[in-house]
Amino acid sequence: MDGPRGGLRVENLYKRFGRDVAVDGVSFDIKPGEFFSLLGPSGCGKTTTLRIIGGLLTPDAGRVYLNDEDITFLPPEKRDINIVFQHYALFPHLTVYDNVAFGPRRQGWPEDRIKAEVGRLLEMVHLQGYEHKYPRELSGGEQQRVALIRALITRPQVLLLDEPLGALDLKIRQQLQLELINIQDAFHITFIYVTHDQSEALAMGDRIAVMNEGRILQIGDPRTIYENPINRFVAYFIGNTNLLEGRVAEVRPGGMARVHIPGIGDVWGMCRHHCERLRVGLDVAVSVRPEKINISRTPPSEPGYNTITGLVQDIIYLGVSIEYIIRLEQGLTLRVFQQNLADDARQVITWDEIVWLYWLPAHALVLID
Amino acid sequence: MTRRWRYVMSQYAALAVNILPPFLYLLVFFYVPMSILLVMSFWKSGYMTLTPAFTFENYRLFFTSPIYLRALLNTFLIATGTMLALVVLSYPIAYYLARFSPRHERLILFLIIIPVEINFLIRIFAWKIALGRNGIINSALMSLGVIDEPLSFLLYSKFAVALVLVHEWLPYVVIPLYLALKGIPQEIIDAARSLGANRWDVFWRIIFPLSAPGLFASFVLVYIPMLGEFAVPTLVGGPSGYMLGNVIESQFLSAGNWGLGSAIGFVLLTIILILVALVLKVAGLERML
Repeated sequence: MDGPRGGLRVENLYKRFGRDVAVDGVSFDIKPGEFFSLLGPSGCGKTTTLRIIGGLLTPDAGRVYLNDEDITFLPPEKRDINIVFQHYALFPHLTVYDNVAFGPRRQGWPEDRIKAEVGRLLEMVHLQGYEHKYPRELSGGEQQRVALIRALITRPQVLLLDEPLGALDLKIRQQLQLELINIQDAFHITFIYVTHDQSEALAMGDRIAVMNEGRILQIGDPRTIYENPINRFVAYFIGNTNLLEGRVAEVRPGGMARVHIPGIGDVWGMCRHHCERLRVGLDVAVSVRPEKINISRTPPSEPGYNTITGLVQDIIYLGVSIEYIIRLEQGLTLRVFQQNLADDARQVITWDEIVWLYWLPAHALVLID
Repeated sequence: MTRRWRYVMSQYAALAVNILPPFLYLLVFFYVPMSILLVMSFWKSGYMTLTPAFTFENYRLFFTSPIYLRALLNTFLIATGTMLALVVLSYPIAYYLARFSPRHERLILFLIIIPVEINFLIRIFAWKIALGRNGIINSALMSLGVIDEPLSFLLYSKFAVALVLVHEWLPYVVIPLYLALKGIPQEIIDAARSLGANRWDVFWRIIFPLSAPGLFASFVLVYIPMLGEFAVPTLVGGPSGYMLGNVIESQFLSAGNWGLGSAIGFVLLTIILILVALVLKVAGLERML
């Protein structure tokens, strides 16, 4: 073998179903062994993209390359790419053993090698002794583990996972997230992971591609996507954010801008994407993450903050944190997270209080799109 | 009486009210007549005579008569051949409708089902008109110069019986197969292909085994009733299309030998019960559900 395998590149994928454009010019380049998440709301084209990579669909235009080899029109059985599906897709008439052995048998492995490997992988996912059970005798989590090792046993170069945890309970989902990360580490297989769950994508992906309406909006590592969203959609879709719509009042070098928000006044924010378009009078949104906002009965003691006041409308106790819904002028509301520091009696803020909210301009993103 | 006791009694009363009418109906019109026939099959029997006794004479007569055994063989030949033809014809239709979901899926299904609604005798006579010596097929072929003599095997033959039976039973094979095939999730087929299965593997290892419940259902729905067929062979079968159902019918209605007729009936019933038991065992239906 020459060099690492499992590098996957797609170029300008385009796919239409009737009049609906499902995938509209999607391109990305995935490194060998990378854990790459495709994140977006349902119907954004992420599953269609995955099915094109798996060979289950042919794109209307564009190319798919595996290790720089064009595989766009290769049938799925000829691609060294396996798929894990949301609803497990185990063969109901075959035992766990025969399900896992399905891939190796197509490749003509000797039966004793299959037997040893199936046993080893079942043990890895804590299902030793399950060989002779049928899929319907297993729980959802167990079925998905079987589906996972069925797809892994032949060591494909790329594993596609289509919302594999979407049908499972929260506890099992979190446990399997960890197992998946460990398995990906151990096998060094490129994972392409489709999900609509932003917390899952943040927790698991080396890189995330955020999709909407058939297009990729932004590709980056979880921190970049979260801290530096490219537009309103990404900011809002990843995590929760407060989006304040306003108009640019002043632009300073370095991307700093003063934005006038009707009913609130002027706030300072940073522009990090497409800043060359920033000019006075432009309609923009200012995004402030709820956990970046300080809440207090008194104004900040130091200068340099964006500062506003509001009325506590709702308090949601979340355990690890407390969420406040603060009502501002003109029907605007802001969400604010405070860490739950129970010994801090000074911080106990209650309903209908007037509070000060303040945050650093560096934590307020000016979004042009 | 305690309240609990009264409650239990009312439950039993409700159960009795629910199952008694069908039970009585089956008892009077099925189990009692069947028992009488079973008893009769062991009686001494001849033309219009029936003497109470206990003898295997009727069964011995059946199993030693080449004519009756020939009818038994004929029955299985015709039913098995017809069943095979039905499966071979139905599978592509059901597969096409279920897996490719053509635009007019429902209309095509409707067209397949509609012959069931046409009166059975009218259908058979229509076939007689088509297949006869001077029928549509023969006269068309002759005027086209394809043949000089009318094809004689078209009517009053095993072929004719099989052809009419295929027409009669096709929907009952297509529909269960269609439902079984329609129930296979696309994801399962996608999974098989991504794991390296070519089209041949996908069909024989995934689709065909998963459509087996449909095949077994149509076997029970179609093959078993065909073994007892007598109207179709009477009308289009002629001497070579003679089936066991005709033998039984004639023993009761023309030969007047009710004992022998009953005995042959029970021979057929026993064979059918064994077949059904075998099918259930092989199919392992409870395992598949």
